[in-house]
Amino acid sequence: MIRKVLKNLTIATALPLLFVGGVVAEDIDYGKFDDYTLRVKLIGGAQYEPLYAEIEKWEAMTGAKVDVLSRKNHFELDREIKQDIAAGTLDWCVGSNHTSFAPQYGSIYIDLNGVIPEATLAEFQELALKNSTVDGRLVQLPRHSDISNLYYKKSLYADQANKDNFKAKHGYDLTPPETWAQFKDQAIFFADAPTFYGTQYVGKDEAITGRFYELLVAEGGQLFDENWNPTFNSEAGVRAVQWFKDLYDAKAVPAGVLNYLWDDTGLGFASGTVALNLDWAGWASFFNDPENSKVAGDIGLVRAPVGSGGKRSGWSGSHTFSITETCDNKEAAASFISFLTSHERQMVEATKGLLPTRAKVWDDAKAEFAGAGNDFMVNVFETYAVSMTEDAFTPPLITPWIEVSNELWPRLQAAILGEMTPQEALDEAAAETKIIMEDAGYN
Amino acid sequence: MNSALKKRIGNVLSWVMTFLLMLVICVPGLWVVLTAFRPNSEVLAKPAVWIPQNFNLNNFAKIFGFGAEQVAIPVPAYFTNSLIIALTSTAIALLIGMSGGYAFARYRFRFKNGLFLGLMLSRTVPGIALSLPVFMIWSRIGLIDAKLGLIIVYVALNVPFTVWLIDGFFRQIPKEMSEAAQVDGCTRWEAFWKIEFPLAKSGIASAGIFAFLTSWNEYALASQLTRSTDSKTLPVGLMDFTAQFTIDWAGMSAMAVIIIIPALVLTFLVQKHLIAGLTFGGVKG
Amino acid sequence: MSNIAKGVPFWRKEQFTPFILLSPAILTLMFVVLLPLLFSLYTSFTGYRLIRPESLYDWVGFRNYERIFSNKNFWIAFGRTILFLTIALNVEFILGLGIALLINRITWGQRTLRTFMMFPMMFSPILVGYQFKFIFNDNIGILNNALQALGLSDGAIPWLVDKYLAMFSILFAEIWMSTSVFAILLLAGLFAMPRDPLEAAKVDGCNAWQVFRHITLPFIMPFAFIAMTIRSLDVARAYDIVDVMTGGGPAGRTELLWTLIARVGYDNSRMGQANAMAYVSILLSILFTYYFFTKLLAARKYMGGAE
Repeated sequence: MIRKVLKNLTIATALPLLFVGGVVAEDIDYGKFDDYTLRVKLIGGAQYEPLYAEIEKWEAMTGAKVDVLSRKNHFELDREIKQDIAAGTLDWCVGSNHTSFAPQYGSIYIDLNGVIPEATLAEFQELALKNSTVDGRLVQLPRHSDISNLYYKKSLYADQANKDNFKAKHGYDLTPPETWAQFKDQAIFFADAPTFYGTQYVGKDEAITGRFYELLVAEGGQLFDENWNPTFNSEAGVRAVQWFKDLYDAKAVPAGVLNYLWDDTGLGFASGTVALNLDWAGWASFFNDPENSKVAGDIGLVRAPVGSGGKRSGWSGSHTFSITETCDNKEAAASFISFLTSHERQMVEATKGLLPTRAKVWDDAKAEFAGAGNDFMVNVFETYAVSMTEDAFTPPLITPWIEVSNELWPRLQAAILGEMTPQEALDEAAAETKIIMEDAGYN
Repeated sequence: MNSALKKRIGNVLSWVMTFLLMLVICVPGLWVVLTAFRPNSEVLAKPAVWIPQNFNLNNFAKIFGFGAEQVAIPVPAYFTNSLIIALTSTAIALLIGMSGGYAFARYRFRFKNGLFLGLMLSRTVPGIALSLPVFMIWSRIGLIDAKLGLIIVYVALNVPFTVWLIDGFFRQIPKEMSEAAQVDGCTRWEAFWKIEFPLAKSGIASAGIFAFLTSWNEYALASQLTRSTDSKTLPVGLMDFTAQFTIDWAGMSAMAVIIIIPALVLTFLVQKHLIAGLTFGGVKG
Repeated sequence: MSNIAKGVPFWRKEQFTPFILLSPAILTLMFVVLLPLLFSLYTSFTGYRLIRPESLYDWVGFRNYERIFSNKNFWIAFGRTILFLTIALNVEFILGLGIALLINRITWGQRTLRTFMMFPMMFSPILVGYQFKFIFNDNIGILNNALQALGLSDGAIPWLVDKYLAMFSILFAEIWMSTSVFAILLLAGLFAMPRDPLEAAKVDGCNAWQVFRHITLPFIMPFAFIAMTIRSLDVARAYDIVDVMTGGGPAGRTELLWTLIARVGYDNSRMGQANAMAYVSILLSILFTYYFFTKLLAARKYMGGAE
């Protein structure tokens, strides 16, 4: 209470100071919010940090201060936001969001249509905006998109001994995997635990749910039928689970993989002890930076493999920013998220490899890489551009997505570890999912 | 000679055993401390680097936001919160505990045993089980994300054990001493502060240490009742850190060292009282 | 104030003094423990969902209890929690006794040893969990690295994943943290032990084991019960350790009641159901404490302390 009064007072008294302070040159006017403190909750992790280093510039331009209340991985952030809803502590303004997570938050975030100028919105990719819309409301502004393609250690594929041995063993030439079956063959072939692994996968939370989901689709399955009955306990589903399990049993992945999240797989590949890594573009420049990565200069990239259903996996979504309904200064919040998704900021993220949501940034970033002679990054952008247009699909954008995921992933783990058969695990998850979907009013 | 030899062997054996035990007790902590001063590249290296090559304060600089890299974990704020919350709740718990312990030690009254047992049992409620309803109630009366909210909870957490320990200490002090003082014209209140309080000091000190350590180290409740830098404590901060950088072991270790140092310093300052407090307070009570 | 006219006001009467002295303690506990517990008792009969505040008034009778009692995973976690407690407390007692006897033998440097022994007591359970998560990590953990360097193992042992090793790892962490409480209390018991019966027994020709079994052990048992009571007061701190090390996973292999409650309540936001589970866990804790507490009271009488 007192703080609020104080805040208003300081805003009032700060008016005369409006035009003091160094202003960074920028085309867009982000407004003036002197001495206002914007409270935000952001997604954290190695790939997200470079953008946050830019926040200082917004502070300098607008005179506001940004107070980052939390900076956690998205699964932890999701837990925290749900508790905020329950406790009524939505006393912050901007939160990181994701197209897969957004539907469950109901109406805590404002509709950005009309808040963000239409001309600005027109610069974003249509699909990204469409996926950011829930019940006709644009509840989030897309920051960058994610989809995974397959990185591999090039030298392994150039090695003649590897080629010969592989051909002798599997009867086909050793080239980067085109199908999920080849992916498995090769991962097992390259593995030499505990010093070298064929691949790694994220093993918990919605991360493994998503991987399972895209493999399910590639294998020709679906999560739900048209009446929202769970159908993932199909043969395609079992094949998908079996893929994870086979790699685990063959020790082609580290034993601790079930505790891994995105940073673990990314840094694992950078450590040079992993042959294949299905990952998003955000790591690309990191992987190719000799200072951080032992595989720099030795990386190949192909599109995500095709499943037995004839479809490529392409689990996709966008990381976004949202503004709370309870925000005490929506104008400042809107200025802040416009800043973070502006052309300049997206260029900052794009140079790291993160996939922009503004159409123009795709071209500009690629041109910049080409100009710098960075063929690797040009290749990255071209490969991901293809997969974004041809392979991308989002998980069902439904309210209980995370709840469904929470039923799925522990059972996926159980199946991988052999506690139950894949069929049992999926049947059990499907039964629980049915209850959740009924409770949520979907059928 | 045979028995002398046996005794020698016995001695050597017990020394070896003790040495091994100390190793098990100390090595895990020391390894974390060591890691805190090493760069991640060395910590994560395969094969392992056993003899540290690089010693520096970079991890700490990073956490506190010096240095080039921007890792804004607001440790100073968490540290202050932890300190304020732990010290305040300890002080209040001690006052309440002294008052309650005195009542149990010096008076006979109805329901005495029942009350004592009830007090103890209230402490057994698992933090996570308690956190659900406390979270819901606190959120309704605005105590979420406030230092006060956490202080109140920690006071309640510490009162039962404090009462128990202090009760034991007051019992050791003969009633006659304070009675004699009252005959000499002191009020009961004066007699308490002049005679009984000084004698029970070491018990109160050890109760204080326990209360402080409980509050300083608590996580299950703090993780739910705190929301921002206004109230987050160091253990919550450590968990935030692990959720942000799932693989930055060196940074996490540095954070761990920051949490352990105040607890270590304080405990060593009063460790003499600690053993005495535990044993006499508990047994003779 | 008007009471003064009538003589001593009621709050200054001797028989009320203890209640007045106790009232801050009682009030605090009523506000922070009793009231919330009543509230959670109520919610355990509702379908309260964290993200749907209006569901707080959605009375469902015993459905939550029926659901958890018929839930296989709940009973597995329940059984595992009891197993966890039993193993932890017993091993802590035996190890603590061993350490106390050992240190009692040693005369040189005993103070220093005692100080070292108290080391784990200062650690936050969060830190203990973190520390052992680091040590038991399959890839970069010091334990696996050491085993590989010594040639004792050629694979990465999945300490935190394997069915038995994962339980072993969290038990190890818990025991590491709490054994010193036992050791210190039992050591104090050994210090307080009168020498005469020991000498007498030796004169009578008892061997070392007989002396220990019939004289030392009975004498220090009350100390053991104090330690048990103190430990059972906050045994649920193990939640922090498990939460950090494994989060109850993978595939629920290390799921204890406490981690299950946290997951159901906060992650799946089914508060009503979580509160029903919490009640079961509270009863369990109370039972454990009550058992040791009665033992303690009996032992106190035996020691000749005031009741």
